[in-house]
Amino acid sequence: MRLPLIAAVTLLARTTLAVFADEAFKVDYHLALIGEPSDASLFHQPNPSSRASLIYSVSEEGVLGAVNPRDGTLVWRQVLSLEATARNTSFLRAGEGQDVVISGLGSQVAAWSAADGRQIWSVDLGSQLADVEILELSDGKETPGPKDALALSTTEKNAAVSRIDGATGTIKWQYPLDGGDAPYQVSASATEVYAVVLHKTMMGYIKLKVISLDPVTGHKKDEYVLSSDNELATPDSIISVGANSASPIIAWTDSAYSVLKVNVIGTKATSTFSIEKHNGHAVTSIKLHAPYHVNCLSHFLVHYETSDAHWAEVFHIDPKQSKVEKAYSLPKISGKGAFSTSTSDANVYFTRVTRDQVVTVSSASHGVLGRWAVEDYGVAGGTGEVTEPLRSVSDVSIKGETVSAVRSAVLLSTGDWVLLRDGMPIWSRPEMLASVVAASFVAPAEAEALVHELEAEAHSNPLQAYIHRVIRHLHDLQKLPVVLPSLPQRMMQGFLGTNEDEDVASDTFGFHQIVACATKNGRLVALDAANLSKILWNRQVADLKSEQTWQPIVSSPKGGVIEVKSRAAAGTQYNASSGEQLLSILPIDVELDAAAKPVQYTMRESTLEATMDGNAAWHFSPMDGERIVSLVPRPVNDPVASIGKVLGDRRVLYKYLDPNLALLVTAKDTARSATFYVLNTVSGAVLHSSSHVGVDLSAPISSIMSENWFAYSLTAEASDDSPKGHQLVVGELFESLVADDRGPLEVTANYSSIQTSTDPFTLTQTYQIPEAISKMAVTRTRQGITSRQLLAVLPDSHAVVGLPYAVLDPRRPANRDPTKTEQLEGLVRYAPVIDLDPKWYLNHKREVIGLRDVVTSPALIESTSLVFAYGLDVFGTRLSPSFSFDILGADFNKFQMLATVAALAVATFAVAPLVARKQVNRRWQFL
Amino acid sequence: MLNLWSAALLICASLASAARLSVSIPASPPLLPNPATLPSSTHAVLIGPPGIRYDVPIKRDSTFTFPDLAEASYLLTIYSRDHFFPPLRVDVEKATGESQSQTIQAWQTFRGNEWTHKGAHYGSGKGELQVSVQPSMPKNFYQERGGFSVFSFLKSPMILMALVSGAMIFGMPYLMENMDPDTKAEFEEMQKKGPLTGSQGAGAQMQNFDFASWMAGGKGADTEGGASGGGGGGGGAKRR
Repeated sequence: MRLPLIAAVTLLARTTLAVFADEAFKVDYHLALIGEPSDASLFHQPNPSSRASLIYSVSEEGVLGAVNPRDGTLVWRQVLSLEATARNTSFLRAGEGQDVVISGLGSQVAAWSAADGRQIWSVDLGSQLADVEILELSDGKETPGPKDALALSTTEKNAAVSRIDGATGTIKWQYPLDGGDAPYQVSASATEVYAVVLHKTMMGYIKLKVISLDPVTGHKKDEYVLSSDNELATPDSIISVGANSASPIIAWTDSAYSVLKVNVIGTKATSTFSIEKHNGHAVTSIKLHAPYHVNCLSHFLVHYETSDAHWAEVFHIDPKQSKVEKAYSLPKISGKGAFSTSTSDANVYFTRVTRDQVVTVSSASHGVLGRWAVEDYGVAGGTGEVTEPLRSVSDVSIKGETVSAVRSAVLLSTGDWVLLRDGMPIWSRPEMLASVVAASFVAPAEAEALVHELEAEAHSNPLQAYIHRVIRHLHDLQKLPVVLPSLPQRMMQGFLGTNEDEDVASDTFGFHQIVACATKNGRLVALDAANLSKILWNRQVADLKSEQTWQPIVSSPKGGVIEVKSRAAAGTQYNASSGEQLLSILPIDVELDAAAKPVQYTMRESTLEATMDGNAAWHFSPMDGERIVSLVPRPVNDPVASIGKVLGDRRVLYKYLDPNLALLVTAKDTARSATFYVLNTVSGAVLHSSSHVGVDLSAPISSIMSENWFAYSLTAEASDDSPKGHQLVVGELFESLVADDRGPLEVTANYSSIQTSTDPFTLTQTYQIPEAISKMAVTRTRQGITSRQLLAVLPDSHAVVGLPYAVLDPRRPANRDPTKTEQLEGLVRYAPVIDLDPKWYLNHKREVIGLRDVVTSPALIESTSLVFAYGLDVFGTRLSPSFSFDILGADFNKFQMLATVAALAVATFAVAPLVARKQVNRRWQFL
Repeated sequence: MLNLWSAALLICASLASAARLSVSIPASPPLLPNPATLPSSTHAVLIGPPGIRYDVPIKRDSTFTFPDLAEASYLLTIYSRDHFFPPLRVDVEKATGESQSQTIQAWQTFRGNEWTHKGAHYGSGKGELQVSVQPSMPKNFYQERGGFSVFSFLKSPMILMALVSGAMIFGMPYLMENMDPDTKAEFEEMQKKGPLTGSQGAGAQMQNFDFASWMAGGKGADTEGGASGGGGGGGGAKRR
């Protein structure tokens, strides 16, 4: 019964599948993110002649990006390293009046064109960077053009101060540092370069050693050790400060945060200030904020934080006597606060962002220059959560003596990056989504309820089902008064095609599913899969210490419920639409769970072990020297509409369908080989295996298993029989390769994988593809009638492509043209190369960077599959692999239809009198 | 995985004596009149033997520089958002004879062909090579819908048939009227003989079928309808 339909569907899929120009940017959505900005953020004018500035930031994800402060759009970004951790401090510097920004991350210092993000130069210093600065000499000896950079590199072998030419990136001089000391910071005053190194004493304490260098030659001029007594135990209690002020400083505290010591680098005296305790709460963190320009006043701000409040003190440095004096303090305010420094000519301004206000003061006096109340940050938070500002960077406009406007880009505790202009949120970027580690679709509760009711009707006897249905419709009638008034509006919207902003509640086609994303920082964020402009909710679900990581598993056990499982803890469930934690955790139906998976398998030290009812069932250990790369089982919910493939002559090839198939990938590093096994996870039998040699094991190997086929991709070296490049292998399992024959399974109504072992017949085909695939997924629809598309993430082209299965079909005839029947089936001649047509790019013109995974979910209508890809960027769309056969798409022209009906009506009315007259005349002629 | 790459990079960097490859993208109208318009995400990837991979972003002067290449055979691919570039094969070979620097050569290569199958020679150099690569094709992401156009509407066979029959219905009476009486008589004679037209023709019966009376009385009504049918298509002409 279904076979003709499937044949029709497959025939439909034959034509090219592409993103339609009118649907692009409407159906799909994309967040071009950079990640939560680190302290290395600044406002800078990319074009020195214009006053317009951009916000530059190196994020905690290791991405350098420029954001337009007007609307929050990303101007450009460069991925410096996608595995940056909190340990890898990043640096970002911009010389005043220059069109260059200089970044430092890992061991690499690079200069980027500030306007368009193209690289100017990049230097690898061979070891971890401790500091990067721009050398701003003001003695008239500096060369015109870009200013030089100073870099301080660490590790015993390569520790050195390097001066890098600003125009070419060549190293002008390098001063090697002694092995025993840990380089900490490099600073430059107008005349000298200082390197601060940490010297470990015999007692285990740290002494600060300052080495001053000649900026032109790089020769050592002086070296001295600061008397830090014995209070410095770890480098953590040093509060470093930006170096390019007229009087560079270094400050440190003891481990109990009771005294603050400040030294103006270049002098030997230290000033000591005691830190007062507030309400018995100990100070938990101290930060220093100082201007970065040589010509600015030497004022700085010290930001103290306790667990429940924060305050700040402003200090002045007398450059002539190198004396540090406390000028004034800013009052204590409860909650967290963020301070930022801005300069205008020589004046320095500090902007303080707290929970509910923005205050700007001058560094010279404590008078408030501007105060704006922040009513609402305009971001979604968890219930009862107070949104706190964490970091900020500000741009102050000065008119005469007063502050006319302040723009502050604030990172909030929710992970949103918000721009406040005079206390008003202008835009927000959900940067926490750049660190999504797990995501899952959640079926809406309402839709799920309807599905259950329909199922109940389908499975009861006709009379009961009828009564059930009538009762359901009577219940539905109660909603009529609500629906009726909105009906004309909805019809109008539907007619004009403006009803795109449907919300999750009124979702007819199942496009508005909730996507739950768990982020690296332990937050759970819920999005609407069809409308990303609004985040539904965002709450902290795991309390992670810094440096602590978690591997959450997000799933949806039933409609409207999200379950987050971590490796350590049991699952916690949340309401998908509100984010509230479900207190009464429903006991997991053990019996059902066990029935679904009688055989459990786990990976233990590179072997797979399976147990059945608690007893060992089988184990798979790879051959000598091999390691398991990945294991991809067939998806749990993988509906298959047809058990066979219809051939052109109406005969059938039976698919080898087994819910327990899995594709296992092992690699042997010494032999550079990779082996792919198709396993039956119940019996442990190897159904198919293939091995490839000359494989680049550092390149991504991706694999997927669905229905009765598998696919994997790898990068291989040139050999006698295969060229160098990337390969995509597709294999399909059949019960028998003879049409209309089910092989040994024919006679059995039921069979067990354990008792009977029937080997499938496997067809495989290898294709050359132009680039590597880092991750694969497959589209999913409700019944599995729609043909499938293989979704592949292309990290080099920054794209996700949807490959129609017809292109990959291993049954494409090789070395001959397809016969008549094969043509009827839609098979085309095998070609060794699949060019990834840009029309297959789901993301079309958008560039999707750093994708980790792609998840798919069926919509309520059969034709459509929802796609959600996450990683650094978030990208989503919906796909109709066999075209939208059950929904009127954008190609349905309502005006044309109405015009046709109208024309027919007019024609009918115009012709009716003619016909009537003719009939009357005819009667008169003969009667 | 990146760690491995960077480790491999470091090893290569330390082993190799510098062979330097720089690839420039010249202005190539009409495809790419100004290479400065290429997005900053444009990058070039050089894949060597397993484990060796160099990835460099585009520079301000629209070049890619690989400063330090070990001796191997590489596949060079340039990825850009809006254009395709041809893949190149780059070979860095050991220094021969007294020269200290390595030989570096570049050819075009073809996907799906043997690695030894080389295309156009892009250049060769001692220790340093500069090649320029032009984009081969723009990327076309979008499929246009077959929108509504009057011409394609008129071209469809259904509409053509409708138009022709419409012309026949409205144009025939005038044609008949303008015919001289002899031809007219002859034509009418011909029509009566035709199987479809004429008083006993299927066409006439169909046209004069009285649905209402058939519903009411069945057989009798049908004959009445048939009898009343005078001359089918010719009826109109007779009347005048």
